[in-house]
Amino acid sequence: MISVEDLVEVYSDGTKAVDGISFRVKEGEFFGFLGPNGAGKSTTIKVLTTLLRKTSGRVSVAGFDLDKSPSEIRKAIGVLSQETILDVDLTGRENLRLQGRLQQMHGRALDEKVNDLLKMVQLEDVADKSAGRYSGGMRKRLDLASALVHNPRLLFLDEPTTGLDTQSRAAIWEYLESLNKEDGLTIFLTTQYLEEADRLCRQLSIIDKGKIIANGTPTELKEAVGGETISLSLSNGGAAVRSKAVEILKSVAGVTNVVESDGGIVVYAKNAGEVIVDVVTALDRSGIRPGYLNMATPTLDDIFLKETGRRIRGEELGRKTTEPFIM
Amino acid sequence: MSFLYDVRSVYGRHLTKLVRNPTLLGTNLLTPILFLVLFSQLLQKLNIFPGVSGSYLAYLTPGIVVMCSFIGGSLSGVSIVNDLNSGFLSKMLLTQVNRAAILAGRLLTDVTVVVVQSAITLAVAVLMGVDIVTGVPGAVLIVATAALLDLALCGLFLYVGMKSRKTETISAIGNAVFFPLIFVSSAMFPSSFFPSWAQTISKYNPISYAANVTRDLVQGGLTWNTLAPAVAVIGLIAIVTISATLFEFRRVIS
Repeated sequence: MISVEDLVEVYSDGTKAVDGISFRVKEGEFFGFLGPNGAGKSTTIKVLTTLLRKTSGRVSVAGFDLDKSPSEIRKAIGVLSQETILDVDLTGRENLRLQGRLQQMHGRALDEKVNDLLKMVQLEDVADKSAGRYSGGMRKRLDLASALVHNPRLLFLDEPTTGLDTQSRAAIWEYLESLNKEDGLTIFLTTQYLEEADRLCRQLSIIDKGKIIANGTPTELKEAVGGETISLSLSNGGAAVRSKAVEILKSVAGVTNVVESDGGIVVYAKNAGEVIVDVVTALDRSGIRPGYLNMATPTLDDIFLKETGRRIRGEELGRKTTEPFIM
Repeated sequence: MSFLYDVRSVYGRHLTKLVRNPTLLGTNLLTPILFLVLFSQLLQKLNIFPGVSGSYLAYLTPGIVVMCSFIGGSLSGVSIVNDLNSGFLSKMLLTQVNRAAILAGRLLTDVTVVVVQSAITLAVAVLMGVDIVTGVPGAVLIVATAALLDLALCGLFLYVGMKSRKTETISAIGNAVFFPLIFVSSAMFPSSFFPSWAQTISKYNPISYAANVTRDLVQGGLTWNTLAPAVAVIGLIAIVTISATLFEFRRVIS
C-alpha cells in the first residue's frame, strides 16, 4: 500500500527533516511511526499525502507513483492533520457535507454517508450546531469523519490524539481499531505516545532525527531490548559515580545491558526478579546506594532509550510509581 | 459539470459563513450608504465647481459604488489568509475539487456582495434624489462595472494574501495603498482640482477608469471612449492577478 525508498526531505533553510528513510506498509496494516517532536514524522506524512514535495527518494502510495500521479493518490487517501481543520462557522453536518461535495459526492449517497459518519463519531445530537461550539475532542472526531467521507482505502493520521483528554483519546482509538479490523482500512499513524503505538499498531517504525532507528511489531521490538528492565536512580554521587555504577552493573550475572538515562540507570535482564538482589548487593559493596528502584516489562520507550540514549519524553526515573514507563 | 458543482460547493460555504456573521455583513452593507450620506452632506458645496455639474451627491454616487468593490476585494484577501493559516485551503486542495473552482467560488461570493452593496447604494442615491440618466439598464451596467473592478481588486488582495499569509498585510496594503488610491482618482472629487502630479496618478488609476464609466452612466450617457479602456485595463488586471493566485496554489500543495 505504501512503499518508501530512501526518502530525503531537506527544507529550504537546509534543515534535513527526513534523512533517507525506507519502509513498506502492507494492505490492511495498522502501521505506526513513533518518535519525539521534531523527529520527521509530520514531514514524512506531508510528503506521502502530496502536501510537500520530496527532495529525493522513491515513493508510491496506494499503488500510484508520487511524482506521476499525485491526484490519483489524493483520491485514494484520507488525511487527518495534526491540527484540527474545520470550518467553525459551519455546523458539523455542513462540514461533512462540504467535504463530501468537494470529494465529488452527490445526493442521497452523500446524505447517507454523512449520517453514517455522524453516528460513528457520536455527533448526531449536535450535528446541526456550529462546529465552533464543539469541544476539542468533538472537533477531532468531526475532522476524522471528514477524512473518511469519500471511503478512502488508506488513512493517514498525524498525531491524532495529541492534546486530547483521556476520554476523547480512547474514543478515537476505538474508531480507528474498528476501521482497521472491521472495514479493512489501511492506517498509517504517527504518534509520540508509546501507549498509543503499543495499543494500535501492528507494525512500527521508530524514527528519530529524520532516521528510522528500529522496525518491527511492538512485541518484537520490546523483545529486542533484552528482557525486563530495572530502573534505578542513585541517591548520592554525580556523573563519575554513575559511570562506575554502570561498570559494576554490567558485570552482574544475568544482566544483558545497562544504559544511562536522565540522571538514572536502566538495567536490562532476562529475568529482572532474579537479578535485582544481585544488582543492589553489587552496588552496596561499592558504597553506592540506589535511591529508587523500579522493575518493569520493557516498553517502547525502552527501545527508544536503547537506540538513542534518550527517552521519548523527559520521563523522570525518580517517579514514585511502579507503573511501567508508559506515557 | 464538475467545475460548476465545485463552484457551487465553495460559493455555498462562503455565503453561509457571511450570513452567519451579521456584524461583517451589516458593516459591509452599511459602509457605502454611510459614506454616501455623510460625504454628500459634508461636501455638498462642492457643487459649485466645474466638473461636478449639478449636485455633489450625483457626482459622488458612482465613486461610492466603486468603493464597494474595494471593500469586497479586501474581504477576499482576509478569507484566503484565514484558510491558508487554518489549513483549510490545504484540506480543500487534498480533495478532488477543481482548483480553479476554489477561487471561482470565492470570487463569486465577493461579486455577490458587491452587487448587493452597489445596488443598495444606487437605490439610496435615487431615494435621495439622484437621477440616473441611463435608467435601469444603466444601473445594471454600473453594478456590472463595480463587479468587474471587484474581480481585479480581489485578485490583487488574494495574491497579496497568498504571498504574505498575514491579514495585517492585507489591511496595511488596503489602508496605505488602495484607500488613498480611491481619493487620488476621479471617484470622490474631480481630478481637475488636483495638483498636476496627482492628476497624472488619477489619470492612470484603474479606479478612475471604473469611476468614469459609472459617472457617465449616472450623469451623462455611455460612451465607448470610457467603457472600452475601462473594461480592457480592469479586465487585464483581473486576469493577471487571478491567474497569479491560482499559480500560487501550487506552492501550498505539490
